[in-house]
Amino acid sequence: MKLKTKLTLFNAISKLVIVTLFVLLLPSIIENINRNYTDSRLIKQKDKLLQIVKDRGIKTYIEDGQSYGSYLPLKEEYISLDEVEPDYYADTIQNEPRLVERDTIGYRILSHTFTVDNKNYLLEIGKSTETIDDTTGPLQNIAFLILLGMILLTIIADQVYSNYILAPLSRIIRTKLVGAKFPSFTSYTQVKTSTSDFQHLDLSIHKMIGTIENAFQKEREFISNASHELMTPISILQSKIENMFEQEDIGDEMKVRMLEMQKILNRLKSITKTLLLISQIENEQFLKEDEISLTYMLQDLYEEISIRLQEKNIGYALALSQEVTLNNVNKFLLFNLLFNLVNNAIKYNKPDGTIIITGERVKNYYTININDTGIGIAADELPYIFNRFKKIKQSLKQDSFGLGLPIVKSIAAFHDIEIQVRSEQSVGSTFTLIIPAKLVKQ
Amino acid sequence: MNVLIIEDEKALAYEVELFLSKNNYICEVCFNGTSASEKIAVNLYDFILIDLGLPDYEGLDLLKEAKKSRPEAACIILTARAEVNDRIKGLDLGADDYLAKPFSLLELQSRMQAITRRKFGLVNQTVDLDGFLVNLTDRTITHLSNTVSTITKKEFDLIAYLILHKNRTLTRAQLSEHIWGSVVNDDYDSNFIDAHIKNIRKKLSVFAATEWLETVRGLGYRIKTNV
Repeated sequence: MKLKTKLTLFNAISKLVIVTLFVLLLPSIIENINRNYTDSRLIKQKDKLLQIVKDRGIKTYIEDGQSYGSYLPLKEEYISLDEVEPDYYADTIQNEPRLVERDTIGYRILSHTFTVDNKNYLLEIGKSTETIDDTTGPLQNIAFLILLGMILLTIIADQVYSNYILAPLSRIIRTKLVGAKFPSFTSYTQVKTSTSDFQHLDLSIHKMIGTIENAFQKEREFISNASHELMTPISILQSKIENMFEQEDIGDEMKVRMLEMQKILNRLKSITKTLLLISQIENEQFLKEDEISLTYMLQDLYEEISIRLQEKNIGYALALSQEVTLNNVNKFLLFNLLFNLVNNAIKYNKPDGTIIITGERVKNYYTININDTGIGIAADELPYIFNRFKKIKQSLKQDSFGLGLPIVKSIAAFHDIEIQVRSEQSVGSTFTLIIPAKLVKQ
Repeated sequence: MNVLIIEDEKALAYEVELFLSKNNYICEVCFNGTSASEKIAVNLYDFILIDLGLPDYEGLDLLKEAKKSRPEAACIILTARAEVNDRIKGLDLGADDYLAKPFSLLELQSRMQAITRRKFGLVNQTVDLDGFLVNLTDRTITHLSNTVSTITKKEFDLIAYLILHKNRTLTRAQLSEHIWGSVVNDDYDSNFIDAHIKNIRKKLSVFAATEWLETVRGLGYRIKTNV
């Protein structure tokens, strides 16, 4: 998952958790606030009333032991003042029901006793709980909306900012890692950013690419030089031997020995040429611009190898599910890939064996199976068959120097073709080429 | 035919000169680009063989010069450079052929003959081998107006190469380098030339004897002809 996606996800989830928590807590918070507010109002009213009593005397409200009571027309609030037993004491605020003109109404009531002129009085100030609750709903809604708005704002702000701050990173990944193919040999363009971590990353990648490019460059130069240095002496030797064959004063016995020399020289030549080819492929010195018909190529291949099939009397069957054209490939290389696979299928086959080549389109890619009835490959040797100069036991008897499958592997990798091998000893092997959709002409 | 051999490796230049002289070419040798450049400007050549890896001169520049001042001369690039691009560049600049070192002298001669055929427009080059008429242009073999249709492409390549170097023994290595040259694989010694020759003889003997196609014991094969 991308860093940006992760950050966005975390952002959204954390905000969601906060919102949920708040929504769960909101009613009790609002209720609490409301109650505190109501209580402080009740206390203020009590203080005011006590002040009036102190200034003007209790007679303002009560005369001759009568009780005083007053309420608003809709009974939301009431005040009562009564004379009570001298030893009665109360100073509380609590919810209690009261019967007011045949209606029982829940009130939040402040009860307070005080003494004036040696008489004990009880003051009650009530506010109906219904009116208190009336304000709770709207308050909750407003709080919720404000919260939601703020959360949305922060999510947007976070998103915009993280996009902005992470942009250099995605630019580094896009241009330096995903887009660039090693060795890229392109010049360095600095990714603009004020974040020092990204600057460091950009510079480090640049330095690493530089090192890799250097190594590749050196390898290319080495191969170019080595080939010149090796090919020229081989060329001189080969020409000398060829000219000596023409010399009249050289007898047949000597010619046979020269033939041996020619054979050995050819071996040296093949190894050098093959190694060169592999490194040329790995250094991407080939173009991929050809368009080929697989049927034609396999027909050419058959012409090329039919003499080898004949030698061992091997049956050969070719079945492509349909006509298929490959594009953006290198014809020479692809032919060599198929040649080496089929050549191996012959080389390691039993006399009178068979080779079956099948091809079919799977979704939009194409697979080719090359199946033989040969000696097979032991399971413990299977991982090493593509290594250079690695000769597995059975192949030691054959005339090869262990570069056939390495060629195959390099060419396949160059074209992004995947190779799968299934093999059973003394039953046979199947090499499967999975040709990606981009090479298959649709 | 006049040939200019431009090759800084003296031993190789000498061998090429020796071989081509024996085959009736008139050769001149240059070991560096500067003297080659002067020679190209002054003398007339039918063939210019250019080694790309000259110490004092960019081989491709020499090719440009040659193409400019001697457009009638055929240029063949000989190179040990492994760069695939060199081949494309060389052919783009008008080289008539390209041979990668190490090459066989026989291969060089066959390429030169092919160029000669092309340049002088030899339409019908037919060789008579005891009644078998081998047409190198159409790539057909006929015997008393019967076409030998069973001969494969590879088999014809072999016959043509032997005809080109008629009366000369070609070793299996030389023959196999010619017909398998474009394939890179990890075999050695198994060149299947014997099997091919066996097939050719079998297919042709239906029409007439093929004594002209000789096996030279222990060495290789040869086509013997007086024409």
